[in-house]
Amino acid sequence: MSLERFLTQVVPVRQKLYRFAFRLLGNEEDAQDITQDALMKVWGMQEKMAELQNMEAWCMRITRNLALDKIKSRKYRLSDDLDRAGEVPAIHQQSPHAAAEQNDVMGKVHVAINALPEKYRTILQLRDIDGLSYQEIADVLDIDMNDVKVNLHRARKSVREKLQNLQVYGL
Amino acid sequence: MDYKWISDLLDKYWEGETTLEEEAMLRDFFSVPHTNLPEALLEAAPLFQYFKGEAEKEWDVPPITLPVTTPVVKLSPLRHWMKYAAVALVAVGIGYALKQQQVRKQDAAIALRQQEMNDPQKALDETKKALQLLARNLNKGTTKMQKLAYFNEATSLVEGKDD
Repeated sequence: MSLERFLTQVVPVRQKLYRFAFRLLGNEEDAQDITQDALMKVWGMQEKMAELQNMEAWCMRITRNLALDKIKSRKYRLSDDLDRAGEVPAIHQQSPHAAAEQNDVMGKVHVAINALPEKYRTILQLRDIDGLSYQEIADVLDIDMNDVKVNLHRARKSVREKLQNLQVYGL
Repeated sequence: MDYKWISDLLDKYWEGETTLEEEAMLRDFFSVPHTNLPEALLEAAPLFQYFKGEAEKEWDVPPITLPVTTPVVKLSPLRHWMKYAAVALVAVGIGYALKQQQVRKQDAAIALRQQEMNDPQKALDETKKALQLLARNLNKGTTKMQKLAYFNEATSLVEGKDD
């Protein structure tokens, strides 16, 4: 793989990889490291590039594997969800009070999603936030497309129950 | 306002049967405030608002460090000939010095011996020793020759040459 090909095909997906790594690891510094490592790994596996059908999914799979290894090796602890609840931007800032309330609601949704098992959470985020198709998610996670559908259904059901228990309602 | 269509869409969503376009419609619907929403829609609103917020979030991605590929320069083995020459010169120098030292030691030993020979008594002793050594070895040769003579004599007797 030439440097030019790397710059045109791989580097543009780095934002996606970073966002993906950030959601898995929960902090910027580690997300940066993992994104960098993933890109270096892709660069190091140049000969495999020719056989690939979906380079983006392949890069994301590498990022996920590296992030999961990091979590496993360091007995990683996700940063406190409550601390990060404040980072979630308010969507409708009608008034400071409404904005604060909105942030609180978003924080609760964030906590509910983050409480899901990693596989459910990742599938839900890839589908509902990143807008990936079932096939693309299957490629990223290296699983069957039917597994994606089943796990997505379970993830949504689980989030719905959590939100009902937390009594989170829209404003 | 009729919310039936969105309620049906939401049911499809919970069942995991919506398409990407339908999910985008749900996010768009919940991104603006609505009055008198039924409870089923009200409970789903924060989730879709969260999804939309996260999807539109700007990420400050740090610049990546690209792998630097430097051309491989083949170095000629003669490139550092001066180093090799210097090492060889030092080795030759050390070897020469060691050899000279050995020669000097030998010369000193011979000179010492010569000095000892200037004393007549010592010279006599040494000469005696040398002559004794010569005599011993000469006697050894004589003994052998005698044995050979006996053998010749015996051979002649057997052959009947001797009368």
